[in-house]
Formats: sequence, structure tokens, C-alpha cells
Amino acid sequence: MPEHVSSETAVSRREFVAGFAALGAVWMVAGTACARDSGTAAADTRLVHFTPDQAKQVDAISARILPSDGTPGAREAGVLYFIDRTLTTFAKDQAPLFADGLTSLAAATVKAHGTAATFAALAPEQQDALLRSIEETPFFGAFRFATLAGFLSLPKYGGNKDYVGWKFIGQEVGMEHKAPFGWYDRPENQMALLGEVL
Amino acid sequence: MRQLPVAKAEPPRRTYPTDTAVDFVVVGSGVAGASVARELTRNGFDVVLLEQGRNVGPDDMEHDELGAFAWPRWTNDPALSPQMYRKSASEKATQQQFVQYARAVGGTTLHFTGNFWRFRPIDFNERSVRGGVPGAALEDWPITYEELEPYYAAVEYAVGVSGAVNDDPREPMRSKPYPLPPVNVTGPGVLLEVGAKKLGWSSKAAPMAILSREYKGRQPCHNCGFCLAFPCEWGAKSGANWTMVPEALASGRCELRPDSYVRKIETDDTGRVTGVIYFDSQKREIVQKAKAVVVCANGAETPRLLLMSKSNRFPEGLANSSGMLGKHLMFNGGTTSSGEFEHEIHAHKGPVVTRITQEHYELDTSLGLIGGGGFDFRVSVPGLMRTLSMPSDGPMWGSAFKQRMRPWFLNSLEAFGHTTSLPVSTNTIDLDPELKDAWGLPALRVTFREHEHDMRLYKYFTARGHELLVASGAKKVTDNPVNDTPGGAVHLLGTARMGNDPKNSVIDRYHRAHDVKNLFIVDGSSFVTSGRGQPTMTIQALAFRAADHIAEFARTGEI
Repeated sequence: MPEHVSSETAVSRREFVAGFAALGAVWMVAGTACARDSGTAAADTRLVHFTPDQAKQVDAISARILPSDGTPGAREAGVLYFIDRTLTTFAKDQAPLFADGLTSLAAATVKAHGTAATFAALAPEQQDALLRSIEETPFFGAFRFATLAGFLSLPKYGGNKDYVGWKFIGQEVGMEHKAPFGWYDRPENQMALLGEVL
Repeated sequence: MRQLPVAKAEPPRRTYPTDTAVDFVVVGSGVAGASVARELTRNGFDVVLLEQGRNVGPDDMEHDELGAFAWPRWTNDPALSPQMYRKSASEKATQQQFVQYARAVGGTTLHFTGNFWRFRPIDFNERSVRGGVPGAALEDWPITYEELEPYYAAVEYAVGVSGAVNDDPREPMRSKPYPLPPVNVTGPGVLLEVGAKKLGWSSKAAPMAILSREYKGRQPCHNCGFCLAFPCEWGAKSGANWTMVPEALASGRCELRPDSYVRKIETDDTGRVTGVIYFDSQKREIVQKAKAVVVCANGAETPRLLLMSKSNRFPEGLANSSGMLGKHLMFNGGTTSSGEFEHEIHAHKGPVVTRITQEHYELDTSLGLIGGGGFDFRVSVPGLMRTLSMPSDGPMWGSAFKQRMRPWFLNSLEAFGHTTSLPVSTNTIDLDPELKDAWGLPALRVTFREHEHDMRLYKYFTARGHELLVASGAKKVTDNPVNDTPGGAVHLLGTARMGNDPKNSVIDRYHRAHDVKNLFIVDGSSFVTSGRGQPTMTIQALAFRAADHIAEFARTGEI
């Protein structure tokens, strides 16, 4: 394949396309304001797009994709607020996909568990079973992407609160890092592996 | 965070009237255009440097992965500059962003990796040495490595390239050592060395356009890790935005005009170029008169601009009497395999690349392959993109997925192969007949299909990358499939090729258009072959050389 910015972009382009179909011009208008306005917006936990019921559902789905299972997950990162904001700004075009997906999931919940059932109130195992049944849908693909983006993008976009996502995967915040960075470039390990320190 | 001791490209110190012909208009402020501007100003000429993108200063540089990858904060924007793509002329093109470049002052060097490999002699005369390939327009360059060597050396000292001379006899002749020692080795570099040593392959410190020491008042790399696809806040990455552009402006003979998108090069009845028409940031049309024009808009935008500049006298596009304009589009091949290791690597810190192997620069004739390339070990991108690239052979959500995230980020890397790709006349850039960009100009159309030879070459390189990862101790290796349908291609080469014969090339050996005496073309489009994977250094050396000749022509009244 042609040389590209990185293997990662080649591999994950499909997900980006699925996740954020048509950003572009919307970003030029909405995103710039959002980018400049980092500190306050990140701490803002008001909803601007979802209804309270939708928000519960979105929160519950994201918490199954990245559960709070002893380490921080989607909830601690504020993924709900990230998705809420993106659907009114740079991922505006995705709003119908999310709305329809949530409606379908609510219907599937009722079908499986009775008219009074809501996705957010189900047991985790029941939630997982329902999500497995929609794993291949564009909605789930976009949702998974948005959850990861909310976990790992800059806090100014509404998620990754206090950089919990970066800390979880081991990505350090900062403009400067000092060697050795990992195990292999430590001088004693270079010596053991190569017989010299490069 | 914003107290970084750096200076952005300075605002213009000098302005030139549009209605008086300036010595040179240079279209494009990437590594080629900025270098040409710097060299021409040093020779005493006045230059108006036009850039379609904006001037990205330190306040606009940020470790923002969504900005870098999910929408084009610094690169060409599909909403404003849409592209069409098809595999062959018999297909209907569909809208797809196939080629990528930074649309900003400094061009793609604003956000590049900084791999600064020189070409070797074989890259200029492979046709003669190895013979042709059916279905490929493989030709020798009209210049040699020896002719370009002084300019490679000049570039290394001008921008500050870090590297180390070694005693491998396959290395090309050098007139000078590197001006700076290599960048410090990182985990991926150590692991590449381990694998190469085990396999008996040559390896070396990567030549990088990243400062390992302070140089010309610029700070060395601080290992922040947001490197490829990000502008460098420290000014340590030696892109044109930190080097050539400020130096051109400091001459007092250059006016930089960002947000200036050239739509046509104007010619008169005698077939000479008289200037350019461009849109300013308010989409107002401005005419800038010039004694000569140098087009340095990259391998995609250069042929597009020349095709848009057609006239009664040049009905097939400016400088296109050969019909070769836009043809022979090449990208280099890129192959990847991921390796997962026992210990933490932290490959996201430091320069992306610190060590390379060029053991396969020239391949054994028994393989039936020409060209070749090299490898580095790296993780190109930060956490979000890296996480999205996790192999899908395990859980992709839930607690089991979460358990994969940290080891994937900290303990894995990619073997990245960089290779030749062949010039094929049906791989082209031209104008889409229907789709328009946000300025009402014809959209870029890419027609591209990999040559069968190249698919075999990429498979060969994928297998070697796999082998290198195993030898370096990877516990698990996953090869990314070799396919021919990616987007986001970089390294835009070959579309206005250089040659001695005006019938089958666009520019002569001095980068002058065969058809127009006062029009020059200098960028990746000048390439006759793709080399072995890293073109930027050669683009810049060509720009230094071209400017030398152009200045001489101007002095002697030969323009």
C-alpha cells in the first residue's frame, strides 16, 4: 500500500470514517470556539444534547465498553459529556445515527425484558448480551469509537477528565520526557541485549 | 505549557506591490518552496512566497489527536478541498480523500517524522543498472547522485540533521559528516538493533531532521512524543516552518503571504509567464505580477495548478506539451507489522524513529524485484490512534478489552517498511470534470492502482519486517495485510517528471519547464523514480540545486 502517515492511520481510518463521518466545515465553525475554550468547558457537566433518559442510556452503554472495574472507565472520564458535546459540534452529522441507535436499543431492551425495562437499569450481563447483538451495527461502531475518543482525547473536548484515560494506558502528560523511557533503553538492559550502550 | 522559548515564522518584513513584477513568485511554502525562497533571497532576488494554508504558530500547536487525525486541523480538509479517486480510467471516480499533505506554512514538514535519508546512486540510474519493468515507465534521472551530493550536504548543515557516518561500504559517498550527533536511542531503536544483530543485517542511527543538540539558536528535541502528525512546539523538528521560512524572511527580500491560494498561472501571447492569480483569505482574487514563477505546490497540487492554468496557447495545461503532466504518480510503499514485547517500551516518547536498517536497499537479482527500501521500528501516533489500531483478534470492548489497552500501548511497536514504488503512466493526478472545491475550482482527481511488481515487493518487505520483529524478541507479531486500497497517501511524487527529452518529461535537468522559459517546477513532482521510501531530503536537495541554477540564469539574463 502507499506510504501513509502511519500504519495506525491505515488500520483505524475505517473507524474514524465510521466514527466521525463528516466533520470538516462544521469543525471550522463550531470546533474552533470549542478548542479555544478549554478549561471551563471540560469541567462542565451540563447536558447540551441528550435528554435525561438518553443520557442514562449513553452513560450505561459507554460503561460497558469501558467499565469501571477497579480502574477508571468511561464514567470516570466523563465520556457521556464528551459524546453529548460532540453531537452538537464537530460530530453533528452523527446525531441521527445515535438517536436511532438509542431508540432501537431501547426497543430491543423492552422486547427482551418487558415493557418496564430500561437499558440503564439492567444487570451488566443483560446489558452485555444486548450489546453483543448489535456489535456489528454502524451505531455500535460509532459508539465504541466515541467512547474511546472520549477516554483518550484532550480534556477540553469534555472527556478524559483529569487525564484518567491517558494515565490508564500509560501515556504521560507533558512537553518533555527524560530517557530512559522504558525497559529496553535502560543502559543495563541495552548492555545485556546488545553488549553495548547505543 | 506555552512558555516555550521559540519564535514563530516572522511576519513579513517587506511587502511587494502586486502590479509590479517581482523577481520571483514561489507557489507553496513547503520544504521545496521555502528552500527555493531562502536560496533566491540569499542570491539577492526578491521573492513573494504564496501559501494556500495558514501560518501555524506556537499558540496553535497542541497535543490534540482529534485535531490531527479526525479532522484536518493542519492538513488538507476534505470539506473544503474534496478529492475524487478511482483505480483506473474506466471506473467512475468516487469522493475520497486519497492524498494527504499539510496545508500550512512549512507544508508537510510542519508535521513530518523527519526521516532524512539521502538517495543513493542506484536511485538515479536504476533503469540502466537493472533494466526496465513491463508496465512501468522506469527511466534514469537526468542527474546523478554525485551531482546532487553537495546539495545534500548543504541541506544537512542548513537545517541541522542528526546522524552518524558509518563504515558500511554500501553507503553513498559523503563530502561532510553530519552536523549533529544522532538523536538519543529509544526502546524501538534498541529493539531494531537487537533484531538486526541477530539476523546479521546492517543497522545504523537514523538520519533525522530533528535536533539532537542546540543548533542555530533552536532547541534540541525534548522527547514530548507528539511528533509525527503534530507541529513541534520546541522548534526542534527541522521543518521549513522553523528553518527555511524564517531565514527567507530574515533576508529582507521575501514576503510571505499565507492563506493565498493560487488558481492560475498567467501567460502572455509570447508564451511567457506573467504572474499568478490567487484567492486571499477573503476569497478575493489578487493578481501578482512576476518576472518568473517557481511552482512548489507538491506532487498533487502542482500538476493540478498547471492543468488549471490552461489557455488558448496551452490547451492541455501549462507546461504539458509532452502530455506527461500529472502522470507517474508515486507514493513509496509502506508496509507494517506490529510486535508485542515482554517489557514496557514507552515508544510514544522521543523521536518517532531513532535507528534504521537499510539491509534491503538493493535486492538480490534472484528475487525478480527491483527497488528496495528500509525499516524502522516505531509507534507513529499517540494513545487514541494507537488504541484504535489494536489487532481485532481479541475482545474489542468490555473489561477484557480494557486489560489489553495498557500493554498494547506500552509494550508494542510497529516494524515499518519503506519501499520503492514504480512510476506507472496510468497513475495520475488530474482535474475532476464535475466536483468543485470550496473556491469553485475543479477538485483533484486521483487515478491509482498499484503495479503488480510493487505488490510483490510489499509482500517481500512485510515478510522481512515480520522476521525482524521475531528476531528482536517479539512475543506476538501481527502483519497488516498488503492491499491496494488505502487512503491518506503521503509522499506525492513523479507528476511533473524531470528529463532531457521534452517529449516525455515536463521539466529539464534544471527544473525549468520545457515549454516555458520563465516557469520552474521544484518539488516531489520532479522525481523520475520514487527512491526507497523517504523523499523529503531529496526534495530539499533538489530545491537547493534548482535555486542555484535559477539564480545563475537570472543573473545572466537567461530567464
